[in-house]
Amino acid sequence: MTLPNYFLADLPPEAELSPAMITEACLSLKRNRAHYLAVRDTPSVLRTLVRTGEDWLEADYPYRKFALAEGPAHTGFSTQTIATGLDGFFRHLTGENLEALLAQELGTTQRLDAFCASSSDNRTRRTALATGPELVGHITAGYVPNAAFMAIVLGLLTRSAQFIKCSRGGSFLPRVFLHSLYGSEPKLGACIEMAEWRGGSAALEQALFEQCAAVTATGTDEAVEAVRRALPPRVRFAGYGHQVSFGYVTRDAFLGWRAKKLIAAAAADVVAWDQLGCLSPHVFYVEDNGTGTALQFAGQLAEELARREASEPRGKISTETAAHIAARRAIYEVRTAHAPDQTRHWCSPNSTAWTVIYEAEARFALSCLNRFIYVKPVLDVAEALRGADPVRDHISTVGLGAQEHELEALAKQFARWGASRLCPLGQMQNPPLTWRHDGRPLMGDLVRWTDWEQ
Amino acid sequence: MTTPSSFADYSRCLIAFIERAGRTVPATEAFGALARSLFALQFAAVPDFQRLCVARGITPGSLADWRDIPAMPTTAFKELELSSLAPTERTTVFHSSGTTEHRPSRHFHNAESLAVYEASLLPWFARHVLGRAGGFQPPSVASNCTSASGGRNAPGGDWKLPARLLCLAPPPQLSPHSSLVHMFACVSAGFGGSGSQFFATVGASKDWQLDATAALGALRAAESAGEPVVLLGTAFMFVHLLDELERLGLALALPPGSRVMETGGYKGRSRELPKVELHALLTSRLGVPPEFIVCEYGMSELSSQAYSLITNHCSLPFRFPPWCRALVVSPETGREVAEGKTGLLRLFDLANVRSVMAIQTEDLAVRRGDGFELLGRAAQTEARGCSLLAA
Repeated sequence: MTLPNYFLADLPPEAELSPAMITEACLSLKRNRAHYLAVRDTPSVLRTLVRTGEDWLEADYPYRKFALAEGPAHTGFSTQTIATGLDGFFRHLTGENLEALLAQELGTTQRLDAFCASSSDNRTRRTALATGPELVGHITAGYVPNAAFMAIVLGLLTRSAQFIKCSRGGSFLPRVFLHSLYGSEPKLGACIEMAEWRGGSAALEQALFEQCAAVTATGTDEAVEAVRRALPPRVRFAGYGHQVSFGYVTRDAFLGWRAKKLIAAAAADVVAWDQLGCLSPHVFYVEDNGTGTALQFAGQLAEELARREASEPRGKISTETAAHIAARRAIYEVRTAHAPDQTRHWCSPNSTAWTVIYEAEARFALSCLNRFIYVKPVLDVAEALRGADPVRDHISTVGLGAQEHELEALAKQFARWGASRLCPLGQMQNPPLTWRHDGRPLMGDLVRWTDWEQ
Repeated sequence: MTTPSSFADYSRCLIAFIERAGRTVPATEAFGALARSLFALQFAAVPDFQRLCVARGITPGSLADWRDIPAMPTTAFKELELSSLAPTERTTVFHSSGTTEHRPSRHFHNAESLAVYEASLLPWFARHVLGRAGGFQPPSVASNCTSASGGRNAPGGDWKLPARLLCLAPPPQLSPHSSLVHMFACVSAGFGGSGSQFFATVGASKDWQLDATAALGALRAAESAGEPVVLLGTAFMFVHLLDELERLGLALALPPGSRVMETGGYKGRSRELPKVELHALLTSRLGVPPEFIVCEYGMSELSSQAYSLITNHCSLPFRFPPWCRALVVSPETGREVAEGKTGLLRLFDLANVRSVMAIQTEDLAVRRGDGFELLGRAAQTEARGCSLLAA
């Protein structure tokens, strides 16, 4: 299978994009939207999305096979990692979940089709209609495709034309997804454009922003802020900057028969997308009152990561990234030799495939990612929160490994502290479709409401 | 050769090795034998090093090859006192540079270890910075720079001594913990004449501030007197000097035979210039041809330096002297990479007598014969994920 040249991102890498090309592409998108997308109703868009999602879960679906075959060379992820990641996303893409998403965001599922009332509208004798922006620009970062996938889904739901700008080399999986949409519904595919360029290419971005009614951006705080500053004032903006996540494991959760399952869940969080997503954990805080629970957790996690490496290997990384891991490991090796009661380390032999660092110091540590995880003993939640305080403003997800009866109290403490998402360990990098990205509404930043008071 | 039983014995053997190396190419076995001796001494005398070796299962008794000697990461010099010198024996400490670092690396010395440092420094400096070819006789180790008056008749290849060494750095009394300043002081004492000078001060936040007026004055005096100079400095100090020349609209033509030695990175202390651009400006603004610009690679944790010369507009690989071996190792496996491949630089410096001889740097390099091409510090390149990465 070869992908035809439907999108700018399909052009060979040496092809130079010009601002005029971006403007022309945006004008075409708007024309196509008026003809093909604005006239669609919600149920028909849902049917398309659900069917595409089901196709992607089929082992012999040509686009899936292509993504798995070619993905490693383009993305650096192994075939197994891509398969797990794709399954995680497309399993969520069901009619029920999409309707739940619409109801959550807009009050009812028909808001984008007709004036209708939610239960609170009924009380005030009002109906309302939501209208998506004519053209949304998405600035995405990195190689984990979920942000781009989700942008495409949301854009289609709001019947918006979309221009997705991926980072250099980061477009592969979203591009294959887009081709699959184009393959089943070319007119719909003609309402979405995708291109790659290096972030901060001012002339190209200016041409794009001038045509957009709304823009979303994910990336570093600096990159997101740069996009915000470059936007004309009339453009709506949703920016998603730096985020980090961690896990928290209680003593009771790591007892007896539960321990093995918990370790498998923790390993799944480290392995998913090679830990490169903002929902991936940097640290597991493990309750330990001096009995060595955290040390046991770390040792067992290392064994599990070694097993997972055999079945779901980490992808290839650059020499620079490997050097970063090697340098970090080297200092922990010295610390382990110097004070083994404070620091321990477990490393994959003859590779940087996985690393577990046990460190008796609650201060949050930023991992070098690519399956490099810290395990830190803490007395209780309070100590973990004190340790994570330096990154408090950047916390996305806290994965919880706890007994049923402990959960509510834990959840409240993490929520009040600032976490925007709590989930069971093992699900950190697999949020539901309705996940409120960074604790904010998904569509609220994009749609325009028309209230009709009667 | 009998096995040295003390650091003093070892130092004598090493100095003999260095002197022989000036005349003939030393045998690999001789390097290996000295490395084993030093490893045994350091294993016994540096407890934190011994712990690392034991954890790796490598002891002097079990060591198969000097390449297996556990290399201490440079970061460990920030956390541990990696020295066989008792606190009372330490007369000098070198700190790693960088104004923003909370904890610098520390490399402790005494008079004896500084003498070895100097014995390692001078001949290789003379050969690469002063001379253009081999055939030099290394100066005597007794030329202790802290007491030397300068202008000693140490041979410097095709160079007439004493030389006029102009250092774009603060003098030793203002920067006593800089190994680079110590290096400049040593070469000034060893090879420099009365016109040798330092041209910087140290600011409140320990940053170096170029005294551009004085530096330009000295350069212009040399220009009009027709006396070649050796101009030594860090890349960022050269940028400050070049910026000043640009501001004044000046281009000097330093007398033929003048040389420039530049070293180190920028660390945010000036605008950064690609090396090719920096060298082009050095040529156009100072009149020093590319073949007379030498790059130096060194660090406070080491006692030897590597140099890279330029021939036919191409930088030759960095080379350490025969008493310091550089391996480029794979960050994945820790094993030496193939010729032309990239990895982390690991150094075995026989002149690092009283700390540890095997150093694991965080510098990426390409293996080129028995030298290396430096790529720079291993830092995370463009992030592949959306998660916040460690700085």
